[in-house]
Amino acid sequence: MTPRLANRRIRLLLAFFTLAFLGTFGRAVWLQAVQARPLDRLAEGQHRVTIDVPAARGSILDRNGVDLAIGRQAITVYANPRHVTNPRATAIAAARALHLDPDRLYGKLADRSRGFVYIARKADPKRAAALQTQNLTGLGFYPEERRAYPQGSVAAHVLGFAGIDNHGLTGIELARDQTLAGRNGRQTVVRDPFGRTLDVIRSEAPVEGKDIRLTIDNTLQANAQSVLGKAIRRWGAKGATAVVMNPRNGQVLAMAVEPGFDANRSSQTDRDTQRNRAVTDTYEPGSTFKVVTVGGALSQGLVTPSSQFTLPPSIQVADRVIHEAHRDYTQRMTVAEILSNSSNVGTVTLAELLGRQRLASWISRFGFGRKTGIDFPGETSGILPSYWSGSTIGTLPIGHGIAVTPVQMAAAYAAVANRGVWVRPRLVMGGPMGKGPHRHRIISRHVADQLMSMLRDVVIEGTGIEAEVDGYQVAGKTGTAAKPDPRGGYSTSRYVASFVGIVPASNPRLVILVTVDEPHGAIWGGVVAAPAFQEIAKFALQYLEIPPDALPR
Amino acid sequence: MAVLLAGVVALNVAVLRLNMQSDQLGREQAQLRADNAELASMLAARSASARTSSRAKRELGLQPADPSTTTFLDLSKR
Repeated sequence: MTPRLANRRIRLLLAFFTLAFLGTFGRAVWLQAVQARPLDRLAEGQHRVTIDVPAARGSILDRNGVDLAIGRQAITVYANPRHVTNPRATAIAAARALHLDPDRLYGKLADRSRGFVYIARKADPKRAAALQTQNLTGLGFYPEERRAYPQGSVAAHVLGFAGIDNHGLTGIELARDQTLAGRNGRQTVVRDPFGRTLDVIRSEAPVEGKDIRLTIDNTLQANAQSVLGKAIRRWGAKGATAVVMNPRNGQVLAMAVEPGFDANRSSQTDRDTQRNRAVTDTYEPGSTFKVVTVGGALSQGLVTPSSQFTLPPSIQVADRVIHEAHRDYTQRMTVAEILSNSSNVGTVTLAELLGRQRLASWISRFGFGRKTGIDFPGETSGILPSYWSGSTIGTLPIGHGIAVTPVQMAAAYAAVANRGVWVRPRLVMGGPMGKGPHRHRIISRHVADQLMSMLRDVVIEGTGIEAEVDGYQVAGKTGTAAKPDPRGGYSTSRYVASFVGIVPASNPRLVILVTVDEPHGAIWGGVVAAPAFQEIAKFALQYLEIPPDALPR
Repeated sequence: MAVLLAGVVALNVAVLRLNMQSDQLGREQAQLRADNAELASMLAARSASARTSSRAKRELGLQPADPSTTTFLDLSKR
């Protein structure tokens, strides 16, 4: 090799190295100066993550501290289809472990256009753990809280349920969502390639959701539901509702709606079944409403309990004829007998004495036509007639042409039991209450005592004999109302039977309302609803250790 | 200089170890909470009064006491 050729090769090599160095230097400047920030962000994104630290949702407890709704751990299984090496085998394995449809899973896993798909939200931890042990590439697992209702169907209508994102969707879960949900925390961490935390850059602790305690007693609630279930089966009824309330403080001890459902299977239950009909639905009260008319007439000083009236078996009011349900002859009755015998003609006579204005005022005073303000979402205010025709004064006083909620009716009777003071019903212990006064006097103590005495007669010798409870004085009123017919007028085959009772009558501790929707075989409140009242009252009095008041002490 | 460098490295390693331990403890805490909630839920389900009373009726033939046969004693001073 000649020196000239050798020099040329050296120069070429030098030029190559110089170019390579310049290229490398240029690339380094490009990466470290020009592209420094975006690349820094990219690198940060790969090993630094900000994660939500979910706040545990508070529990819902009954008045004795028994768990009604609680958070349980579940595992959410997800996948990155781009990382899944064998979509078919992975789909089969995951479907087998989690009891899912393999074809649907395969569709998700084979779609490589997406980087994240859920395989199963809030899956059973044991099943998810079994899948995790198979170490399938592309699958990921993270813990989430799942709402569980350990008492099953007990108070399901009251509790409502929380959705997949753990936020309340109905019932108390919705009404008290802010308290129960708490606030999620956040954490920014640096992780190694295996996902282990190397450093915590920033941390904001979650604020855990607070527990809330209901006024409901789970034992009374379970018993009320069971009694209603039996009543539905006995009378082939469409449904039934019961409200058990403490008249002194408005606390609702049980609010039962049947047919019920398992709160853990809310998503599989139709919306209609989930409705808490005691608060959201209305019914025509029939004769239980007569206490308003009689209470109004007594309060206005128009009559006394012993005032007498000669009452024909029917009465013409404008274009309507109002008949007695249990009598086809003229009879002389006192005001007390009008209530105890549930006389339609007598009650209409009292309403005519009162007049339209004053009757409307007493209806409003007893809390009808407006929401009670109970701490439950979706309460309806009931329906009052939008205009008064000539016959309204004949139908309204006996509880027709008006729609009320069971909780409104229970609150009205609770006011009578509470010596004339109306107290707002409540389902949650403590906490905020709705707008308006929580308690106010609606009738005088004297009139309340007179009404209690008359309501006792209803059970002793009137239409409510079936509501008697051995050892206790019971006051109450039966109600039977035909349901409106969709084609106009009233149905001749569909009725609502109801009974509202106060016990022990000498020192009221409980107001219990029972309505039975569309019973068959019998339609009367005294036959259909009163026995259910008796059964609920008997159990509650025993359970709450309320001493008898009808025995010599 | 070498001692200082070694000290910095040792400090970083210690911080890393503590972070990993803290992460592990966090996981254990979360697991314990989950187990606790699971147990509380099982306890609530098993002690549900409806379940207890139906088992008492079915397995032991027990019935709720009749209120009319229950005697209440008045302990207030007369």
